[in-house]
Amino acid sequence: MQEGFLREQRVLESDLSSDGSHKNSIDFLIDWFRKRSIFVLSYGTGCGAIEMPPTFTSRYDAERLGIRGAATPRQADVIIVSGYCSYKTLRRIIRTYEQMSNPKYILALGSCTINGGMYWDSYNTIKKLEDYLPVDIYVNGCMPRPESILEGFIALQRDIGNGKASSWQKYQENYEFYRKNQEAVLGEKIAPAYDANWYLYDGGL
Amino acid sequence: MYSEIKNRFATSDVEVKRDDLAKVVVDRHRLFDLISMLGREYGYITLSAITCTDWIEDDHFVLSYMLVREDRKHNMMIQSMIGRDEPHIESLVGSFKQAQIMERDLHEMYGIDFVGNDNLVELSLENWIYTPPLRREFDTLEFVNNHLTFRDGRDDNMDVKKEMKRLRALKKAQKEAAKKAKEESSDVKQ
Repeated sequence: MQEGFLREQRVLESDLSSDGSHKNSIDFLIDWFRKRSIFVLSYGTGCGAIEMPPTFTSRYDAERLGIRGAATPRQADVIIVSGYCSYKTLRRIIRTYEQMSNPKYILALGSCTINGGMYWDSYNTIKKLEDYLPVDIYVNGCMPRPESILEGFIALQRDIGNGKASSWQKYQENYEFYRKNQEAVLGEKIAPAYDANWYLYDGGL
Repeated sequence: MYSEIKNRFATSDVEVKRDDLAKVVVDRHRLFDLISMLGREYGYITLSAITCTDWIEDDHFVLSYMLVREDRKHNMMIQSMIGRDEPHIESLVGSFKQAQIMERDLHEMYGIDFVGNDNLVELSLENWIYTPPLRREFDTLEFVNNHLTFRDGRDDNMDVKKEMKRLRALKKAQKEAAKKAKEESSDVKQ
């Protein structure tokens, strides 16, 4: 118990205990369950997605902390926006985020989501993710290593456990603000089309 | 081969760049004759790329078609100029299927209309209503400043040049003080 993963896990989880701000034990229990079973959508945008497989597989093994993958947006709690976010990707992220069921959280990885990073003067990449979607935790770095991602998850778990991670409520309450910003860069029609004309034309199907 | 191209296509601009690469500049109306002739008679049967160069000073685009011979040992670059205002040229989709996606890309990035390609929909820029972004009159930084918001810097954000100067002066002063102290101590010993 003194070295290796178990020790690391104890260090990581040492400040995960609740701060006692809950009104009653039901709230406390619900938050405890939520923080201990985080389902992460298997969805990667940009280069940061390459850090997610090691995080979730045997080397860093996020499942020991209760963090594991989910196949569809409707089963997921967390979406990771991993890296730069072009307009085209942002449309898909918005649709995916709106398909997820409450409570839902956003973890943003990398400097690109924070201030544009190396794409600061790109015509096709947004600079501040929090203008378009509510972000719970930013993990900085270019790219953040799996250790940083785990620390970000622990911070998210702490917030969930204390009942403070409420970005999804923020999105509902300030929907006009987010929608206005989204329309400013994406135009009136934000959701991408479901058809596959491009595929038919190129000789597919 | 090169002399035949010169004679048949009335061009003097044939340049052998490397052992495996030659460049031919032809008139845009003879371009597809040349491409089909090269494929039929000399075995240049693969189209590997279509690229575009924006010569804004000379007011034209240069389209480069890269053809590869069937033994994969020789490449032919065929260039043709088109005007920058309402640029258009015949599509190559009929002879090369892979031209489809290359032409879509050029249509999106430069606004070139490929006549005969019926699927010139956007590839990565959806609902793009501004100037095509790779044309040189498109000012990227101005566009970003007009359309996107940046995060303000940190509160303790410092000017790098000034800060380096200050630190260097500080270091120098410390060094001199240490030197002085050393000299004084040696004086006392003597």
